[in-house]
Amino acid sequence: MKMEDMSLSGLDNTKLEALAQDIYSDLVEDACLGLCFEVHRAVKQGYFFLDDTDQESMKDFEIVDQPGVDIFGQVYNQWKNKECVCPNCNRSIAASRFAPHLEKCLGMGRNSSRIANRRIASSNNMNNKSESDQEDNDDVNDNDWSYGSEKKAKKRKSDKVFLHSLKQHIPLVSFIAVRYLFMFCMLCFCPHVIARGPIDF
Amino acid sequence: FYWHCVQQHARFIERFGLKELLRAKLTECGWRDQLKAHCKDVIKEKGLEHVTVEDLVVEITPKGRVLVPDSVKKELLQRIRAFLAQHAT
Repeated sequence: MKMEDMSLSGLDNTKLEALAQDIYSDLVEDACLGLCFEVHRAVKQGYFFLDDTDQESMKDFEIVDQPGVDIFGQVYNQWKNKECVCPNCNRSIAASRFAPHLEKCLGMGRNSSRIANRRIASSNNMNNKSESDQEDNDDVNDNDWSYGSEKKAKKRKSDKVFLHSLKQHIPLVSFIAVRYLFMFCMLCFCPHVIARGPIDF
Repeated sequence: FYWHCVQQHARFIERFGLKELLRAKLTECGWRDQLKAHCKDVIKEKGLEHVTVEDLVVEITPKGRVLVPDSVKKELLQRIRAFLAQHAT
């Protein structure tokens, strides 16, 4: 901090006082200007008078506090047991099972490659495997989404399938590792990047 | 030399967080809300579509300077003086 360069030692009390007043009025003017710019922007962007709505329209948006209903007044679990049609295979799936089904169906989720690889492995061994068996496996693995049923799925993997799926995930794993390493280095070597508040004398 | 002083001045204010301190105090004591209400009057007077930054600055800044509460002014001046006293000898 090069404040010493300012050579204040030569100034007497009246000049110091004048300097202090100068600095103070500068700060106040800065605050005023800041407010002006903020207000002007709010006016031009159209959000300045947003909190001036009348009582009647305010009542339309009041927070609802009833049981069984969310703060907008809508019932929130009415979609739980509805059925959706999968756009890929055109089957009718329950809403709570829809996300995991889509993962397997489109072959895009974290677990989908495992299942697909197992199918490839099993179809290489037994060419006469029926369609319905594969579909059943699909539904059983939907349980991955609930707690405690992951053990069944994991124990059935063969080594070959496991290595193959790991190889596919290498780019993702390395990306995550690099990101954590970067964050760690930032914390260790660049702590001054973290903002500081006003300093007390 | 003048520009050097201005730079030092700016660096001093930034370094010791006086700007943020003042803004926080002014918001806390309701200065901002008062001034915003005054802004609304100015805007209604000049018309929402045609108000410019200069209009606002000319109307708001003098009032803003006057409306700063005495306690805030005293505290800020105290801090500034303390710092200057520390570094003057």
